[in-house]
Amino acid sequence: MATTVGSAIRRSFDRGLTLKTLQRAAEMAVGAILFIVILEVVLHFNVLDSTLWSLYGPYYFLTGIVGTLYYLAIIIPISVVVGFAVGWARLSRLRVLTWPLSVYVDFFRGMPPIIIVIFASLLGPSLIPARFHSEDLGILMAAFALALHSGAYQSEIFRAGFMSVPRGQLEAAQSLGMTRGQAMQFVVLPQALRLSVPPLANELAVVIKDTSLLAIIGSLDLFGLSNIFSQQSVFGSNQLWWVFVVWTAVALVYFVMTFSVTEVLNWIDRRYHVKGLEAISV
Amino acid sequence: MIRVEDLQKHFGSLHVLKGIDLEVQKGEVLVIIGPSGSGKSTLLRCINLLIEPDGGRVLLEGVQVNRPEIKREWVREQVGMVFQSFNLFTHLTALQNVTLGPIRVLEEDPEKAAVRGRALLSRVGLGDKADAYPAQLSGGQQQRVAIARALAMNPKAMLFDEPTSALDPEYIREVLDVMALLARDGMTMIVVTHEMGFASNVARRILFIDAGKIIEEGAPEEIFHSPREERTRAFVSKILR
Repeated sequence: MATTVGSAIRRSFDRGLTLKTLQRAAEMAVGAILFIVILEVVLHFNVLDSTLWSLYGPYYFLTGIVGTLYYLAIIIPISVVVGFAVGWARLSRLRVLTWPLSVYVDFFRGMPPIIIVIFASLLGPSLIPARFHSEDLGILMAAFALALHSGAYQSEIFRAGFMSVPRGQLEAAQSLGMTRGQAMQFVVLPQALRLSVPPLANELAVVIKDTSLLAIIGSLDLFGLSNIFSQQSVFGSNQLWWVFVVWTAVALVYFVMTFSVTEVLNWIDRRYHVKGLEAISV
Repeated sequence: MIRVEDLQKHFGSLHVLKGIDLEVQKGEVLVIIGPSGSGKSTLLRCINLLIEPDGGRVLLEGVQVNRPEIKREWVREQVGMVFQSFNLFTHLTALQNVTLGPIRVLEEDPEKAAVRGRALLSRVGLGDKADAYPAQLSGGQQQRVAIARALAMNPKAMLFDEPTSALDPEYIREVLDVMALLARDGMTMIVVTHEMGFASNVARRILFIDAGKIIEEGAPEEIFHSPREERTRAFVSKILR
């Protein structure tokens, strides 16, 4: 009896969250449409102007999206792996291990990412043997440096996750005859990761938008290419009001990318929701 | 069954256990009492080697287990432990808590482990709570799940570290009842507790520990009503009040 009531509550809880997500998405869509209508009607910008999109769309817009996704495919996996590994390693009692790692975290957290991008693109290639050099090596090094930058933030997220699992959990697992590795895998990790998911979604939302910084060293990402196009609108032969249309489109794409990633993490968060553990619900 | 000889433990400059000797026969229940900080918890943790003793010997069925070549996991598998703060795995249901050890350590078939797990939960009176998460259970229910979890490993002996001192008074009875049932079924138990009723009814012997040493040992009657040592008398009068 109690369990059926519990699962009914859980189902309605899940449905409530899904409804909330849909509602939020709908609100965003209405907002975007209103924005476009205002541009069209009040300011007389033609958002779907065919000349604009035939010039901007195929090359700048689509290539830009592919470029941004390409850098994200490099940055997100590296940053999560580095962040997780560093966060875990910093729990060690070995000072020879934790001290250099805390220097790493402090360094990358304290540096403006734009300066990291510039330095990595200038100095990074010299760390790689000459025969591996390619034209975009500087940009790749900068992307790698951005991954390290985000990894520093993420390591603190994972470290906090690990530290919030009480010591007694490890003790209880070991008292059942589990090895330290088993205790970590089956008891500590699932709890630590569940607590890391919401702040991780936050950090990934920042990383996605930070890829635009690569544009200042000439990357062919969405921001960089759109910037080139809008320069032509400002200084060249294109129409000035195209600038607004272009940046609206770019912002929308970044929004969709961010929203998709955070929604995936929200789904994981809901999936591993533990009944009775919601400390505060409003 | 369990024998401890001249057990020593330091934490930094603190000498916590100063040569403890004790022996528990198969099927016997030994209760340990003593003021907080006297080393009771450390003693229990040295017996299943959650804490590594600095000196002395721990013997399980005649085999010295605190030797480097003996796997610590093997020892803990055979000596169950129940904690003051329950330490149930918060992300798992009651049943999953009970079956995790059998499935991962004993490599038992998950189906069989679940059947056995449900039976164990029924045995501690929680047959209907298999799918509840720890946060949905009362303290007394959580502690009974913890007992079932330890029993699921088919331990040869069980250690209880103040199993009722974190409980609200109304839940103490149900946990003690389960423990008394276990004792009646012949489980070898070492119990750190200040529950005098339980100690008198269930234990054959009581050990009084203070400042890392055994001060006095005897039947419940002697310890509670006619202790030989002044320190025992002082302590007992405090907890009987």
